[in-house]
Amino acid sequence: MSRISAAFSSFFSLLFSGVLPESVATQFGYMKMKPAAAPPPETPKIKITDGALQMLQTLQRDARLVDFLMEDIAGYADDQVGAAVRSVHADAKASLARHVTLAPVIDGVEGTNHKLDGGKAPDPNRIKLIGNVPASGKAPGGTLRHRGWQATSVNLPPIGKQDVSIIAPAEIEIE
Amino acid sequence: MSQYIIGIDLGTTNSALAFAEADSPEVTLFPIAQLANAGEVAEFDLLASSLYLPGEKEFVEGALALPWNPQPSSIVGRFARIRGVENAGRLVSSAKSWLSNQASDPTQPLLPLSAPEGVAKISPLEASRQYLLHLRSAWDQAHADAKLAQQTVLITVPASFDAAARDLTQRAAKLAGYPEVTIMEEPQAAFYAWIERNPDWRERVKPGDLILVVDIGGGTTDFTLISVTDQGGEMQLERIAVGDHLLLGGDNMDLAVARFAEQQFAEKGTKLDALQFHALWQQGRAAKEVLLAEDAPASQALTILGRGSGLVGGTIKGKIARDDIRQLILEGFFPIVPADAVPQRNRRAALLEVGLNYAADAAVTKHLAQFLRNAGNAKPTHLLLNGGVLQSSAIEQRLFEVLNSWQKNGVVELKNDTKRADLMHAVAHGAAYYGKARTGKGVRIRGGVPRTYYVGIESSLPAVPGLAAPMKALAVVPFGLEEGSKVELPQRKFALVVGEPAEFRFFSSVTRRSDAAGFMLDEINDSLEELAPMEVLLPPHADGQREEIVPVTLESYVTETGMLELWCVAADGRRWKLEFNVRERAAAA
Repeated sequence: MSRISAAFSSFFSLLFSGVLPESVATQFGYMKMKPAAAPPPETPKIKITDGALQMLQTLQRDARLVDFLMEDIAGYADDQVGAAVRSVHADAKASLARHVTLAPVIDGVEGTNHKLDGGKAPDPNRIKLIGNVPASGKAPGGTLRHRGWQATSVNLPPIGKQDVSIIAPAEIEIE
Repeated sequence: MSQYIIGIDLGTTNSALAFAEADSPEVTLFPIAQLANAGEVAEFDLLASSLYLPGEKEFVEGALALPWNPQPSSIVGRFARIRGVENAGRLVSSAKSWLSNQASDPTQPLLPLSAPEGVAKISPLEASRQYLLHLRSAWDQAHADAKLAQQTVLITVPASFDAAARDLTQRAAKLAGYPEVTIMEEPQAAFYAWIERNPDWRERVKPGDLILVVDIGGGTTDFTLISVTDQGGEMQLERIAVGDHLLLGGDNMDLAVARFAEQQFAEKGTKLDALQFHALWQQGRAAKEVLLAEDAPASQALTILGRGSGLVGGTIKGKIARDDIRQLILEGFFPIVPADAVPQRNRRAALLEVGLNYAADAAVTKHLAQFLRNAGNAKPTHLLLNGGVLQSSAIEQRLFEVLNSWQKNGVVELKNDTKRADLMHAVAHGAAYYGKARTGKGVRIRGGVPRTYYVGIESSLPAVPGLAAPMKALAVVPFGLEEGSKVELPQRKFALVVGEPAEFRFFSSVTRRSDAAGFMLDEINDSLEELAPMEVLLPPHADGQREEIVPVTLESYVTETGMLELWCVAADGRRWKLEFNVRERAAAA
């Protein structure tokens, strides 16, 4: 290869593709150079909403909850709705139990009195005061109206390469 | 010495693994990691014995990954079953039944039977290997410092599995990287599980008792008789009879319920598609359990949700009545029959379709009557039930009713206090317990081989043109030959030609239990069942020229792991092992 043609081909190759042409590299003994390190594998970016979509996906797959919620049920008789709901309920409950461990926030009997620390306002995450709430937001106790729910553990599989925005794929049956 | 003793119940529809630490009496069930859905691995007590052969682009990349394999080429376990409902052409199931199927070669790619062209089928042997491999991988994942290959492993098979099917089970284990495994019989394992859970068992049975074990699994029904004897003050247990191989189990009953319900829907003008039928099958199974329990309601609702997104609108409602179910299951599968009842025989078509040889008669009680008659009109004193189906109290009661109508002395049930808990896992449990018993930590049932085995010998009568020479049968393995013992037949010599394969037709009988080794049966009749032939090849001489005829005698040997081996022995001490040729068996059938 002549010096001029080598220079030109190197110039344009470097300008447009950022590498030496193979012929030049071989001629000048650059082939032993390690190829540029591969870019680090792309880690899937997990968005904050992905977990929510995954849960919807799961409840649809296991219990068809989205089908149920999205259907207009106004026109159906109660026993028709009832029959479907029993099935959806049982499946959704089983699915939920597999993925999330739920426990009451206050493990007491609803309708009975429950003591609170009157010295300070309760954690608003855990306890909501309702009714005649004193201005200070502190109360020594009251009637437990709802025990609340908390997730004590969540067991969802890691999100891989699936498209979480697809809650349920369309189904096509081949006859 | 191994750290753990592992018992594996390799079932037709579900498999389980239980283990015990070598120096502790506790037997524990191992939760098996498997795909629960695409992209989700979860642990379950049972591994569904289902295998799905995924298409190339069928799943999102990585969705089938297991902790020990990022890209498995097939799906094993729960997700295989789920996806298999939607696409049956890629689902392999009931591989175990194919291992003992006489009409096809279990080492050939047969499954899925209905696979469309382009799906690479696999053999029943390969499917069994994959189930065992999955169990091994799951175990190794959880026990990095005590890999399965270094442990003592027992695998259960139906008592009615013949020597060829046992051999294939062991081959599958070897191919899956298992150590030398011990093959044990499921009903015996169920009995060991009972012993394990009832430390006071010696007070509940006494010498002279005869225990009948009825084990109804998903795909097979197995009967076994165990006698209790007194040997110099020590209580001894001996397995004295096993039943014929019956392809009849809980799955058949569930299918019957589903078909019945489907017909009810059809009468109301509703036709179900395959997926809806499957949903019906699941619901029918649950309804059956409720309606056959004590204090069952009069009926149970069946709900098939609408397909497509019109869930409520498309919902089909039905119900199934208790009386109908009882009629269907109790009268269909467990009818009250006299002690001399005979199950209907198969009317064999001239050309047997390749498929499983399901029991021609669904009446379990008729098969039971025949089994007890064949066992010398046995009158069991105790009954032990095993298998998911027998959790139902109505079936349990019916079995007692029938048994008690056949004999004067009432049969006592060997109940488990925790019985309801897991008739599903008892076999794996019992296998692990037995593994310990073998090392001296527990009682052991004596049994030996559950059949008499024969080789066919062409009679020297002049052959009639067009007819095969009549065959005689020489007993080579007596019933009950125990593990670790051997039988020699020096009086009968066979001439083998070096370099040419020699083949022996091979027969077995579960009913002829008193033929001693060397006994010659003049005619091959109905009491004998032909198995895969056994063959042996004496390696040719190095020069490949010299012809030699070697006179040999047969020697039978039952290994410590319960495997039957036949050897040809020459006068100069050279020995060659006979191997099963399952291909020949298929061709003959």
